[in-house]
Amino acid sequence: MIVVLLLTSILLVTLDLRDSGFVAGVRDTFGTLFRPVERLTNVVTKPVSNAWRGVLDYGELRKENLALKDLLVKQEGTAIAAAASVREAQELLALNGLPTLAGIDSVTAQIVGQSPSNFSQTFELNRGKSSGIRVGMTVTNGAGLVGKITDATLERSVVMLATDPEYAIAVKVGNCPTPVTSPAPETTTTTVAETTTTAAVVPPTGIDGATTTTLPGDTTTTSSTVPPTTTSTTSTTTTTSTTTTTLPKPTTTTIKGFTPFSTTLPPRPGGAGSQITIPDTGGLVPRETGALEGRGIGRTPIIRFVQASERLGALCEGVPVVTAGGSQSLAPPDLVVGTVARVVNRKGTAGPLLEVDLAANLESLNFVRVLLYQPATEIPR
Amino acid sequence: MKRFFAIIESPATRTFLLGLVVLSFQTTLFNTLRPFGVVLQLMLLFSCASGVAAGSEAGAVTGFIFGLMYDMVLTAPMGLSAVVFGFAGYMAGGVNAFVHEARWWVKIIAVALSTATAVLLYPAASLVVGVDGLLGSRIVTVAITCAAFNAVLAVPAARIAKWALVKPVRQAIWAE
Repeated sequence: MIVVLLLTSILLVTLDLRDSGFVAGVRDTFGTLFRPVERLTNVVTKPVSNAWRGVLDYGELRKENLALKDLLVKQEGTAIAAAASVREAQELLALNGLPTLAGIDSVTAQIVGQSPSNFSQTFELNRGKSSGIRVGMTVTNGAGLVGKITDATLERSVVMLATDPEYAIAVKVGNCPTPVTSPAPETTTTTVAETTTTAAVVPPTGIDGATTTTLPGDTTTTSSTVPPTTTSTTSTTTTTSTTTTTLPKPTTTTIKGFTPFSTTLPPRPGGAGSQITIPDTGGLVPRETGALEGRGIGRTPIIRFVQASERLGALCEGVPVVTAGGSQSLAPPDLVVGTVARVVNRKGTAGPLLEVDLAANLESLNFVRVLLYQPATEIPR
Repeated sequence: MKRFFAIIESPATRTFLLGLVVLSFQTTLFNTLRPFGVVLQLMLLFSCASGVAAGSEAGAVTGFIFGLMYDMVLTAPMGLSAVVFGFAGYMAGGVNAFVHEARWWVKIIAVALSTATAVLLYPAASLVVGVDGLLGSRIVTVAITCAAFNAVLAVPAARIAKWALVKPVRQAIWAE
């Protein structure tokens, strides 16, 4: 009996790994049978779950709520600027006939379930094939990449998170900008001529009640009643003071992975125009492609197969990571993934490993967006 | 009618229905209660409890069925949990080979040890079928937490498993 069970397990694992339709059919049928039982149990156990959450998570939720409010205020201004930039970028891409995310349809779905396993990281969505969702489609939220669809029934679908050990996707990583030594701030000396009148007035001596009035530039008026021992002097002095003014350099916001090499057009002759900066495409920092792979719960995903070369520039922390796209990639290009959190250099030809901080917070997902994007190779003919 | 009741009351049907109910608790309530971020393994508990209640072979079969049902709702390769839970049930049932009537604390120890072994075995089995990255330091926390929880519920779970697996008396009467 034990041997039969073991052989059956091996057979099932083999069939499943080879994407057998039989196994998928059995799973679908079981899902249909199990769903009502699960719903019923969910109704019964909901109060207990809520009580558990209320007891354990209340304090944390309050703190998180306050932190999020602060963050929201900070983000509002940035979001407006970002929206303007995105619009501009889309217009440029459209002008050049390049693909953009704006042209891809999407479906918003809510997370209604989570994997009951300690090992796999999957969520269940309340939308499925009837909404156009297919296996392999990319899932994002407002911040960035979340994962991909690994299973889809008529009304439900399963998302594998980007941190799952089985998840992998091609990404692009920006290299560090070349460090530029900024010159010392300019010091301009402006000389301003000032005329200062200093009057030395000798108070009345009290003798004979003589008074002296001093006016700038005026000649001295000396009272005749002043005794020779007492002198009332009035002097006019012209001095030149030197004021040093330091003009600050124009400030530039630097985004890692992008160095604003630029051409500066001078102001129009005779006109008081501002300087216009035009980005130089030849000076843009090159980007490398690699493979992003999940590493499981509590561990950041890593990027393999990147090469650190002198010619392309160094790999450093903080640079943005976006999807690479391509004819066979399941994700469209330039979808935000996150930033490089750490660069782990390895000996030999293995190349460095990059740990990535995902832009999307996968621990507090509620609504997500499924991009109805399929590469040409995946669309059935 | 007798035949219908016989089917309903057969150990196989009871085990399947018990599996459905336990699985529904696993995917709802026990999916929310995550002490130390660990999902408590109710399906594994009943697999081990079946072994303790009805012996190694019954434990292996029940564990296999429960594991297969668990695999149906996971994205992991089908059959992986089945083989691991089957092994856990068999291992827990081994306690009956050493003692005639296991005391309650023996049952608890058997369930806890089998649970910990199964939790540690799962990533290893995954590695064999090509699913990498599950082996890590976190696995120790998962094993200890699951073992402790299953130890607490071992005795009542063994009673429920015994109810499901032992042939009812009425069926024997109808069979005559």
